[in-house]
Amino acid sequence: MRAAAPIVGGVEARAEAPREVEWLRDLRAGNDEAIGRLHALLLRAARFEVGRRRPTLPHLRGDELDDIAHEAADDALMSVLRRLDDFRGDSKFTTWAYKFALLEAAVKLRKRAWQGREVPLEPESWTVFATGGLDPGAEVEQRELLAALQRAVATELTPHQRDVLVALALNGVPIDVLADRLGTTRGALYKTLHDARRKLRAHLEEW
Amino acid sequence: MNETIARLLGPADPEIGCDECFAEIDRYVDLELAGADTDAALPGLRAHLAGCPACREEHQSLRALVARGAD
Repeated sequence: MRAAAPIVGGVEARAEAPREVEWLRDLRAGNDEAIGRLHALLLRAARFEVGRRRPTLPHLRGDELDDIAHEAADDALMSVLRRLDDFRGDSKFTTWAYKFALLEAAVKLRKRAWQGREVPLEPESWTVFATGGLDPGAEVEQRELLAALQRAVATELTPHQRDVLVALALNGVPIDVLADRLGTTRGALYKTLHDARRKLRAHLEEW
Repeated sequence: MNETIARLLGPADPEIGCDECFAEIDRYVDLELAGADTDAALPGLRAHLAGCPACREEHQSLRALVARGAD
């Protein structure tokens, strides 16, 4: 039997469905216990992300990291509650909710890792890293390809495309850190990166 | 392909953007863990993960979190 509530879409096909339907209904009604359960779930996810990234943040103390996890869970709770209508039931509700906490935690931790650091927009390295097993001919070919790419980056891209490509693809600047510094969005920056890559591929086909 | 060249050129296959990736990543992970054909269900998402380090990291985290059964 299908649930009458349209908010849960295909959810009822899964074993977890009855509990999810009830939980969603309570969340929509603003039930404190349901919201508390959701916050606990989001905090677990945020702490999981903090734990995964901890080795890359040796300068942060444990209580600072836990503060970030709490902030991420609080922000994710607001996002989830605001977007309950977007949940179509195509995944488990917990999987859907987790992604908001993981995103919030990842963005905050990347920003902390880059706090006070200049974002490099000029190429830091065009090195061809030696790849094991490459014969000398293939290595020469790769060096030539990289040199052609270096020229194409200089001549085929707009200044903005060049900055974005160099920062993201060459210098390893996280996309949300760059978006923050440039006052734009992650989606818009990826579109710029995608367009730049397409130009480079088209140029290489003519090369 | 050399790592620098791969990062500069990105994925060869058609890909979706970051916003679409975020909208579908939960479904992708549940399908993946169920052993379903994710490429057929969500074309372009795998290519995006190959081209976008941030979305790739978030996918790996979500997959690991769901796989360990924390809920």
